[in-house]
Amino acid sequence: MGNKPLKTLALVLAGALTLGLAACGNANNNSNSGAASSNGGSSSTASDKKVTITFQNIQPDPTTPSYKTLHDLVDSYMKEHPNVKIELDTLNTDQQKLKLKTQAASKEVPDITIVNPAAQMQPFVDAGLLAPLNDMLDQNGLKDTYQAGLLDNYTFDGNVYAVPDGNNIEVVYYNKDLFQQAGISQVPTTFDELLADVKALKAKGITPIAIGEKDTWTGSFLFMNILLRTNGGPGFLKDVVDGKRTFEDPAFVEAVDRFQDLVQAGAFPEGATSIDANAGGNLFKTGQAAMFIIGTWETGAIDSSSVGSQVGAFRFPTVDGKGDLNEFMLAPGSAFAVSANSEHLQETKDFLNYFAVNYPKKQFEYKNAVGLGQKVDGDLKSAGYSDLAMEVASMFNDIKGGDLSFDNTMNPAVSQAHLSSIQNLFVQKVDSATVAKEHQTAFEANK
Amino acid sequence: MNVLKVPARTIAVFVLPCLLLYVVLVFVPILVSFYTGLLNWDGITTAKFIGFDNFKTMFFHDPVFWPSVRRTLLYAVASMLEIPLCLFMAILLNRFIKRRANTLVSIYFVPVILSVVIIGQLWKTIYNPASMGGMLNGILISLGLDSWQHGWLTEPKIAMYFVYIISLWQYFGYHLLIQFTGVQNLPEEVYEAARIDGAEGFKADRYITLPLIVPILKISIVLAFIGSLQSFDMVMVVTGGGPAHATDVISTLMYNNSFLSLKYGYGSAIATFLVLVCLICTFFINFIFGRVEKKVG
Repeated sequence: MGNKPLKTLALVLAGALTLGLAACGNANNNSNSGAASSNGGSSSTASDKKVTITFQNIQPDPTTPSYKTLHDLVDSYMKEHPNVKIELDTLNTDQQKLKLKTQAASKEVPDITIVNPAAQMQPFVDAGLLAPLNDMLDQNGLKDTYQAGLLDNYTFDGNVYAVPDGNNIEVVYYNKDLFQQAGISQVPTTFDELLADVKALKAKGITPIAIGEKDTWTGSFLFMNILLRTNGGPGFLKDVVDGKRTFEDPAFVEAVDRFQDLVQAGAFPEGATSIDANAGGNLFKTGQAAMFIIGTWETGAIDSSSVGSQVGAFRFPTVDGKGDLNEFMLAPGSAFAVSANSEHLQETKDFLNYFAVNYPKKQFEYKNAVGLGQKVDGDLKSAGYSDLAMEVASMFNDIKGGDLSFDNTMNPAVSQAHLSSIQNLFVQKVDSATVAKEHQTAFEANK
Repeated sequence: MNVLKVPARTIAVFVLPCLLLYVVLVFVPILVSFYTGLLNWDGITTAKFIGFDNFKTMFFHDPVFWPSVRRTLLYAVASMLEIPLCLFMAILLNRFIKRRANTLVSIYFVPVILSVVIIGQLWKTIYNPASMGGMLNGILISLGLDSWQHGWLTEPKIAMYFVYIISLWQYFGYHLLIQFTGVQNLPEEVYEAARIDGAEGFKADRYITLPLIVPILKISIVLAFIGSLQSFDMVMVVTGGGPAHATDVISTLMYNNSFLSLKYGYGSAIATFLVLVCLICTFFINFIFGRVEKKVG
């Protein structure tokens, strides 16, 4: 047997391999050129030009009202504008954050994307990746639909760079049945009462407060309530950023101490730091924990859970006589932003305007109007919203002010240091002065 | 090469695609990431060149860095120590299980095919506190050993070791398979000759199996070592590096810095360090095995 057939075979195989590679390359080229041609042209007036808008979003779950709202609006817009094709790039929250950062590094932000308020979107604005939306907000009276002051969280140097999908506050949800079992007749209004309730629940073998602290933001979000109270009102972190105060301020140290009191009283589930946020929430939604301190975005999910009918909500108690019950941790929603480099900026803005104008109506229809950042016509009660939803909605009317979460106020590096420092408090008792020092060091190192 | 009588250009045709892929996908990114390590960059806005400042911070000022390195190396050593155990199992299987030893090996191999996420969730449930249905603590209670209960993944002092255990368990079958194949392929005649000389059982293992299996051992050890240096997924799924960095390894630290703290430059510096450590360790292992092979061969 000569070498010839073997060699031919080898060459054929090698050829196939290279062809395969070339094919991959071609496929890429094709899709690129395809995108380029469909993107090409139509930047100004021509409304019959074919346009493809990429809409990156964080609504992967078809059962949620937000998913239905988004798809309804996108479909109806495409029906009304046959020349516009909207491509959804649907991811879950963490994936989207990561993908956007990767895209931002190569300046390829999708036409519409999702950003988070204040400090979290600052880098994108600074890098000039987002388009100002002032003109879009003026169309169809969109601007006036937003609650007063809400857009400030997305405004830099007088330009609004994103429009939020909601505006939430942090409240304490509680399970009335479990409270009754532990002999608690009234919801706590002071921190000491809260501690006493925690102990009463614990004595009955009930986990007092549900939390999943593997995802570190949950603990921080709760902790910030205490800081909001011990500081006697909002603005502590802002003072730190402005250099007026440091983390070693008594208000902060006291907040750490009080938080540790909660931990020591056994308020949280065992092994909290290995439970992820969803699983933590499920402890409450399945009736295994008595309280859940979280943003009002959970209202709908709690309503439809098995304990929905037994759940009420109250405001985070005052701490050592300080603070005001009607000051809340504020959570302005994630927001829709438009890429500054979008090939058809105008069409994208037109769509986003349509989307944002109709968003509240749809959300209302889907019983998801609690925590909406926009005004909506219609009466919750007659629309069939639950008592819990009504109760929470009424708290919105009493808001006197509040703070944004830590990672919306501080830069990412300081936030990460803070998050892991708070997580540490769940597993061991730490001198509060040390915690304060840790924060201050991280703050100074990452200014 | 010339033994095959293949002209150079045929060789080139074969080698080039892989070489190109390798250079583009491995070599270039390493260089780029080294360069990025010299920048003060959040991955989004304009980067600033700061020389070796990131490396200085990493080596001298980051309180989390060296403990992470220590945990990573310990991980690597632990996974290396697993290999002799695998070899021992393989020898036993080969000698005493005459029928269907392959089936057994396949069963041991199952965890390797399972996704890390599934295994992570499984073991998290095993490690959970008794109040959340944790199996390990439950067993301890039913044995009356209540005081032995622990938050296996939440107590900073012990959490890391229990993450190691998961990975060791998962990759046991993998290395067992490698060793088993190695042992099976050893020529029977050698053992027959040894038997005539009076060497049987473990004596034969000591003087025949072990020296002959060294190249296979080397593969296993290099794979285990490098694999655990780069371990990321298991830690991420099980603890996310927490509580408070207690289970951070080099790669999770790199991820957290690059993508959560938005210190992309600093994260790249850590990545460069990781590449260097892997290179040095591989070199070192090769060197040691070169010595060993010479000695036993």
